[in-house]
Amino acid sequence: MKKKKTILEKKISRRKFVKNSVYTGLALGVFPGILTYPSDALAESFGANINWRQAEGSEITVGLIPAGYFKNLANVKSTFEDLTGVKLNIEMTPPAQIRNKAMLDFSKKTGMWATNCTDPMFYYLYEANGWVDRLDEYLENPKLTDKKWFDYKDIQASWRGTTSVKGVPYGIPFDGEATCQIYRKDIYDKVGIKPANTLDEYLSNAQKIHDPKNRLWAAAVRGMKGAGQNMYIYPSILAGYGGKWFNSSGKMTVHTPEAIGALDYYVKLQKSFAPSGVSNWNWPDLADAFGQGTLGSYIDANSTAAVINNAEKSKVVGKIGYARWPKGPSGKRVCSIWNWSFPINAALSEKDKVATWLFIQWACSKETQAATSHKFAGAYKRVGVNRNSVWKNSDFQSLMSKMGDNFVDTSIKSYNQDTDADWRPRTAKWPAIGGEMATAIQSALVGEKSSSQALIDAQAKIDKLMMG
Amino acid sequence: MNPSAQQEKSFAIMLAAPSVLVLIITTTFPILYLIWSSFQNINLAMPMNDGFAGIENYIEMFKDKQYWKSFRLTVIYTVSTVSLQLLIGLGLALLILRIPKAQWVFRLMAILPIVLAPVVVGLFWRTLMLTPDFGIVDFFTQAIGLGSHAWLSEPKLALFSVILIHTWQWTPFAFLVLLASLASLPSDLYEAAKIDRASAIKRFFYITLPLIRPAIIIIVIMRSMIALSAYAAIYAATRGGPGTATEILNLYAYRTSFLEVNFGYGSTLAVFILVVTVSVATVLYLIRKKNN
Amino acid sequence: MNKKIRDSILTLLATFILLIWILPLIWSVFVSLKSEIEVMAYPPNIFFEPTLNNFRDAISGSLSIVSELADSLIIATITTTLTLVLSIPAAYSLARLNLVGKKKLGFYVLATQMIPPMGLVIPYYLILGKFGWLDTYHGMIIVYMTFSLPFAIWLMVSFMEDIPREMEEAAFLDKASRVKTLLFIIIPQVKGGIAVTTLFTFMNAWNEFLFAVQLSGNKVRPVTIAMYNFVSVEQTMWAKLCAAALIAMIPVIIIGIIGNNHIVKGLTLGAVKGGGRK
Repeated sequence: MKKKKTILEKKISRRKFVKNSVYTGLALGVFPGILTYPSDALAESFGANINWRQAEGSEITVGLIPAGYFKNLANVKSTFEDLTGVKLNIEMTPPAQIRNKAMLDFSKKTGMWATNCTDPMFYYLYEANGWVDRLDEYLENPKLTDKKWFDYKDIQASWRGTTSVKGVPYGIPFDGEATCQIYRKDIYDKVGIKPANTLDEYLSNAQKIHDPKNRLWAAAVRGMKGAGQNMYIYPSILAGYGGKWFNSSGKMTVHTPEAIGALDYYVKLQKSFAPSGVSNWNWPDLADAFGQGTLGSYIDANSTAAVINNAEKSKVVGKIGYARWPKGPSGKRVCSIWNWSFPINAALSEKDKVATWLFIQWACSKETQAATSHKFAGAYKRVGVNRNSVWKNSDFQSLMSKMGDNFVDTSIKSYNQDTDADWRPRTAKWPAIGGEMATAIQSALVGEKSSSQALIDAQAKIDKLMMG
Repeated sequence: MNPSAQQEKSFAIMLAAPSVLVLIITTTFPILYLIWSSFQNINLAMPMNDGFAGIENYIEMFKDKQYWKSFRLTVIYTVSTVSLQLLIGLGLALLILRIPKAQWVFRLMAILPIVLAPVVVGLFWRTLMLTPDFGIVDFFTQAIGLGSHAWLSEPKLALFSVILIHTWQWTPFAFLVLLASLASLPSDLYEAAKIDRASAIKRFFYITLPLIRPAIIIIVIMRSMIALSAYAAIYAATRGGPGTATEILNLYAYRTSFLEVNFGYGSTLAVFILVVTVSVATVLYLIRKKNN
Repeated sequence: MNKKIRDSILTLLATFILLIWILPLIWSVFVSLKSEIEVMAYPPNIFFEPTLNNFRDAISGSLSIVSELADSLIIATITTTLTLVLSIPAAYSLARLNLVGKKKLGFYVLATQMIPPMGLVIPYYLILGKFGWLDTYHGMIIVYMTFSLPFAIWLMVSFMEDIPREMEEAAFLDKASRVKTLLFIIIPQVKGGIAVTTLFTFMNAWNEFLFAVQLSGNKVRPVTIAMYNFVSVEQTMWAKLCAAALIAMIPVIIIGIIGNNHIVKGLTLGAVKGGGRK
């Protein structure tokens, strides 16, 4: 009797055990969270010592322009959503309209965009109006940021400078570029010239390869009027001539001997060596012409490398060389410090601000920068990563060196040595001033006015603007 | 008042009320806001200066050289494109009138340019048509010996080009209206004139033209309003450049409000555009009424 | 001159002129069938291997404009419908009935059309923002109605003014009610006018860009913004852009074709006599 009971008991207990195991197994299978936090593995791989899920359940919208580097970011956004439990909406807006839309949102406090890719020249404006939060508070808060892991100082120093106002960071740079010489190595080699070291050399190089009869124009730079177009190149020439934006008493002065010299150079370069439509050309046009073999060299962003190396459209893959900006008569060599950065919209709720900060931290982290660049699965690999460490990464370097001769060296040197924080005037009135200067430069280019007259007129307008 | 007339009155009000109400609700606040802003100093780049400005903005506008330039450009632009549309449309209509068989094909083809989005038209003309040494317009001018030109880069040429683009897109409208109008003219009038041995030219000027005057006036009114508020195509093609050679008043207001973030002054410009447009329309409206 | 010869010469001349006019469109069809690298070739070539890839890319894949097409369709259709429903009665009232303050109201309607769109962006942004209607269908529709309503009323008024008085008087004699008169006698007479109004109202809503970009967002994206999918900072994909633009033209063309006959009749009615009671 006892034995039977024992067997029965055993059977019952075994059945119970099996039942329990099955139930447990089912439970674990259906609700894996019972055992572990769902994103633990993911969070561990990121290695930051913060709670990534502290803004779980929020939903944020980020405004971006339809550019390859942002498309890659959009492509990996599920990593962010899995990591944090925050829903991420990305809204692609045409670049000519995105600043307007961002400013409408900021100024009317509608909180439509948690953050958006921001032009570094606009931070003074944003700060003056209190539209974006100071980021030092976020960076220093151990609950929000693992300082060691995030390694803020690893991001390009000159870029960090442009997204700060009076030393306080308001945006974190995500993607950027430097301008440099881009030339047809094969043509230069054939004629026996080396990339120019000075602005005058750039002209004489152009003279040697200029052959419009055979549809080869020697050199060109941006001609389109705009604060981010022709006013992106002219300031570098101005710096080369030793020009400054503010005089010794702090007044903005644009009609100076150096400025006239720089503008004359710009007009001479374009008129002598660029195709006639250049006054309407932006960098896609320059890159396209170069890729088609009708332009022998141009000075523009190193990130155009991605376009001219795209075999789908370009005929010059493998024939490209890069070199730093030529020096000006003053001996200075200055390139651009462009970057797109992310601020935090001050009109958001506290929780949404945390969610936004988590996004920014994630996007600008070493992991994501690598993931959207040399580790990215698609054809377009980001060139403009923000971190020195990624630039030093051997995989990244070997990938980038495919862009052409001397690409990595030129880029690194340009970032580290050729930048000047005051390369363009940093003021809240930048949008208007940039526009006025752009108009003046184009007026000189198309022959509407002489360089001197164009600058005099611009000075008058700027004086009025700065008077406020 | 007899009951029937009373009935008619209330019926009339009932029919019109919904539309009028919608319009009042949706347009009153914006116009008031616009007018209010034009008297304010609203500059996002200098928030400390914001405040009531009285008629300062208006005074500044009259002193603003760029404003007068824009105004002049707007007049040139509008008058040119509307006249061209009228002339070309009329010419085409007279031509097609004599070929009744294929008319529907022409009418169909004529609708196509109108249907394209202006922003696409601007982008398209900028690169695929007018780029020197690349666009097909430039290709043709080179082929027929007129040479290559910087169509959008030379100030006067650029103005010509944007007028060309606008005319290209909207002439079909004038063509369609005039074609329909001409097609429905009573033919017995012509018979009578032929019997009187009136020449073709006389026939045209004394019979045809007066009869299609209403159509012409409608075209002028509608096309003028569109030309005055043109934005997308010009912006896509030249951004108002080179320099400010194609910056009509509308674009100048856009630049001031959005690029220079000087909303106060931008509103002033917008209010002024409104006043000009209403005045022009009033004149045309009165002509039309007189004609009836 | 022999009539036949004269006719053929005229036909040839007309065809030539019209072809030149349509040339940009023909060219964009060519471009949409080329590969991107072909597009950049100079001199431009007419003979090439056509490909449908660009159309495929515009419809499926990451650059697809299909959802934007749907958004535009919703907005344009509802806007047009509401506009017609409101404007036709109002036009009848203004044109043919004894409406109180008719002249002033008529001018008011005309004047609301003239507010420069540039000046309206910010007020509308403010209003929609306050109600939380940014980035919504109803938000866009309300804004578009503000433009299309006066335009439609104004158009319909000129069409209505042409109908001979006798029509209403006859209906009256038959003791028809006012509503019936409107529905069964007047409206059929202005079928052409309605066709024109429908086409242009739809088209204006469909092609609008300025407000579309500022007032819509993530959830509602009209097709005019979708064009910029192909215009990025780095380069413009002309072949795909042309393909997308052509696809975006289709709905409006369909409406145009359907109403083609009516449209011409409509334009005739409105234009010939120019209004007024005869």
